[in-house]
Amino acid sequence: MSWWMQLIACCVATIAYSALVRLPRKAIAITALIASAGYGIYLLMDQSTMGYFLASLLIGVLCEICARIMKRAATLFMTAAIIPLVPGVGLYRTMRYIVEGNAQMALSTGTATLLGLCGIALALTVSTVLFANLRRIPKKKDGTC
Amino acid sequence: MQTHNELGDEWMEKVSQVLDAVCLAAQIILECGGETYRAEDTVERMCKGFGVPKVDVLALPTGLMLTLAMGEEKSLTRIVRVHRRSIHLKKLDQCNGVSRKVASGEMNALEALEALEAIKAECKDRKWLMIGASALSASAFAVMLGGFWIEFFIALFCGAAVQFISVLMARHRMPGMISGLITGALTTLLALLGTLVFPGANVEPVISGSIMPLLPGLATTNGIRDTIRGDLVSGGARIMEAILCAIMLAAGIGLVLSMWRGVIG
Repeated sequence: MSWWMQLIACCVATIAYSALVRLPRKAIAITALIASAGYGIYLLMDQSTMGYFLASLLIGVLCEICARIMKRAATLFMTAAIIPLVPGVGLYRTMRYIVEGNAQMALSTGTATLLGLCGIALALTVSTVLFANLRRIPKKKDGTC
Repeated sequence: MQTHNELGDEWMEKVSQVLDAVCLAAQIILECGGETYRAEDTVERMCKGFGVPKVDVLALPTGLMLTLAMGEEKSLTRIVRVHRRSIHLKKLDQCNGVSRKVASGEMNALEALEALEAIKAECKDRKWLMIGASALSASAFAVMLGGFWIEFFIALFCGAAVQFISVLMARHRMPGMISGLITGALTTLLALLGTLVFPGANVEPVISGSIMPLLPGLATTNGIRDTIRGDLVSGGARIMEAILCAIMLAAGIGLVLSMWRGVIG
């Protein structure tokens, strides 16, 4: 499977998912691009736990920047953009190993899945906190706060 | 100085409009998948725009409490319960627009209330479009995770079925956890049946692709973010919801996989 086909599929899937969560039309194209960029980083990082973290960090930062530019809530972009990274394969593999009675593989796959999810959550939290604090600085300078 | 008795009915009506408007705004945000701090923030901003001297608000994933302090001896409290939560970003966006207008003084309480009621009432979900979107997203994810044409077609059916059954269960007020179990089981069953029809199909991308839109990716994030912000109750509740949701999905998959092994393997 070539990487560009995966990225195109990622783009299409994100667009379809945005329709599912009724994302406003203006935000759909940019959300799909952000999602593909994030997934590209994840593929580059060889699908590791660190890959989850860095890809989500990129997605979080890009979403916050877009939110500032378009004067919309960052959640709007983030909800759909993060979906391709959610470790669905890990969950399925864990269940398959449990059903097959392969406890060792189930444990290691399950741990990796959980770590991936934590990495995503941590990265998005970091980007949000980063931007929430950046916003406050110019306000203080103006004295309008 | 005037007290509320001298101001009388007119004052009372105006205050109740303010209260209705802020409660409705917060309720829409909580029902459409907004974070609790966004609901609290919106209430505070709107009250500032309406000229309410002091407001205290506590938003939880399942409800909202707020008190407006009007004048020295009078305060009004209201509790709003939030029963069903889904993601509806368009309503969230429109609600944000209203609160921004109120905060900048472009809208008064009555206009805001009317605008918010229009947002809440808007419910023109085109059912077939939703089913199509779900089918397309499932199949595109299946391709993304290493599938090809066969997997694409099987996932198309899985995605459509998931959306169809989700709408059906939401209409009959099935608890969210149980519907997670059922959708997980249904997806796995359809994918496994697909391998019977098309021998040689790979089940993994089909099942993973179909459950990805159902997994609580953002709920976990919101939960951890809330906890870090210090909203311990909503953070804990969200993390709990996310974990239970994932476990239920996994249980549904595991149930069908083990039954399938018993019958076929």
